Amino acid sequence: MDELSQETARSPRPLLVVDGVSKYFGALAAVDNLSFEVMPGEVLGIGGPNGAGKTTLFDVITGLDRASSGHILFAGDDITRAGPERICHAGIARTFQLNAGFDTLSVRENIEVAAIYGHEAPVFPGFRVRPVIRRRVDEALELSGLTDRATTPAGELAVLERKLLMVATAIVTQPRLLMLDEPVGGLTQAEMDAFVAMLARIRGEGMAIILIEHVMRFLVTLADRVLIMHHGERIYEGRPDDLANDRRVVDVYLGDGAADLIRAALDPGAAP
Amino acid sequence: MTAFRRDLAIGVVLVAIAAAVPFLFPVRYVITQMTLLFIYAIVVTQWNLVLGVAGIFSLAQMALFACGAYATAMLGLYLDWSLWAAMPAGAVIAVVAGLLVGLACLRLKGPYVALLTLALAQVAYLVIITDTDCFIRTETRCEPFTGGASGLRRFGDLGLREWLGRDWIIGNYFVGLGLLVAAMTFSVAVVKGPLGLAFRALRDNLGYARSRGISQFKYQLVVFALSAFFTGLAGAFYAAHFKSVGPTIFSFSLLLLLLAMIVVGGLGTIWGPIVGATLVMFADEGLREVQDFRTLGLGLTLALFVLLLPDGLTGTASRLLARWRGSGS
Repeated sequence: MDELSQETARSPRPLLVVDGVSKYFGALAAVDNLSFEVMPGEVLGIGGPNGAGKTTLFDVITGLDRASSGHILFAGDDITRAGPERICHAGIARTFQLNAGFDTLSVRENIEVAAIYGHEAPVFPGFRVRPVIRRRVDEALELSGLTDRATTPAGELAVLERKLLMVATAIVTQPRLLMLDEPVGGLTQAEMDAFVAMLARIRGEGMAIILIEHVMRFLVTLADRVLIMHHGERIYEGRPDDLANDRRVVDVYLGDGAADLIRAALDPGAAP
Repeated sequence: MTAFRRDLAIGVVLVAIAAAVPFLFPVRYVITQMTLLFIYAIVVTQWNLVLGVAGIFSLAQMALFACGAYATAMLGLYLDWSLWAAMPAGAVIAVVAGLLVGLACLRLKGPYVALLTLALAQVAYLVIITDTDCFIRTETRCEPFTGGASGLRRFGDLGLREWLGRDWIIGNYFVGLGLLVAAMTFSVAVVKGPLGLAFRALRDNLGYARSRGISQFKYQLVVFALSAFFTGLAGAFYAAHFKSVGPTIFSFSLLLLLLAMIVVGGLGTIWGPIVGATLVMFADEGLREVQDFRTLGLGLTLALFVLLLPDGLTGTASRLLARWRGSGS
């Protein structure tokens, strides 16, 4: 290995760069001059009170909404003004807080359509689903545990299954960055554990993940790094284990009780 | 039996029945009305792609039909083209018109698409009926470029009379049937394949679909263009079969008749348009005796289906079948 590649191995270039991004709705700054980076393979957790601008940030990064100012770079390319289709093809796939799905399509068709159109834009998609696409769909069905539900219309799925399906349609586009908006909100403890197991398998494939979550136990166990937003600004960025000791985070978001629970989750030996 | 084989079997039986009709009922009126049914069924199967499968509420379908019809008539009349060449050219012109309509509707949602497309059709209609300048002037006649309110005639026909004699009308009948089979095969291939998935995904959830890489711009234009091709061809065949074309094809009651066919059969289903076209055509035939009540009956049927059976006959039937199977297992 020559010196240059050693250098890049030690400090790889960030996959995503958010540089001074703001999003205004009228006079309200939903996202206020926010900057951060995500490295390849890293898991960044984003928390913060309701209305902190987390979902707006996701919408701006994935092209569903335009940034009022600032720049967003993905793998070195400027995607600030790109539409959602191009951003998907560039390698960012997201899920939605309001369990989105193509309700009249079956579970298999939901994943198929993402597999056909999500990785790169086909010039002409043809009249048949190609075998290579079918294989990738089978893998995504297996990964999400939805193989038995393949023929069910997505509109008839339960909450957990809808969330799993959304992740499956994201994975099948073969993204380099997966963005999850409240992936476990509303799930039971057992369901949450199933979700954690699936994400662990996804991480094993080297995909970077950004996740928004209110369930702090989930956030701090999965994330390498945590970013807390408040009124569109960053009030904390750092390791998950220091989170509960940050006075400002405890005051505006966690409260003392939740802070104790986080300490307990990170260090089961030292229960309060 | 797979869904594909079932659909194929239904298709073969229907074509066999249709092929027997001119020999079982060799009545000119029956054959003419059946040919008209084929033409309407083609329009309805293609309109269903936009309206039912892609969920775009376009009312421009008869305007695209008129594009095909008028283009064929004009190519025959002014450039002396054989109608066999003019028909596909008319279809291509309808595709271009379809692309323009699709482009105009790109940023609009729901009812605004209906308003704009209806307005575009009205503009085309008004341009034609207010056209009174003589394009062809002889001592006895003055014909405007578009034919004006009285329409275009004497632009030729399919020429089947030369080798079928009096049975030319049966020849035309089978041309119509062939076009319907082609249009139906085409729409099934589109609906069941990757294109159908993209149209339905964009219909179900636009933002989510775009986030999965499906370009709204591209596929909305694609669905308009695809559905315009056979619609234009149906219009071209209409002109060739009746040997005349006039502004009545823009009429609101005809648009309503075709809309009723889709709604009665089932929006977005495979067989719905065919079932609906056949039933509405026969019902309309039954109401012919009581002229005044025809449009009224049509409106009432449409209202009742929208309120009581929004999935149409085939949609409701397949749901009942699924429930019956579900309780059986």
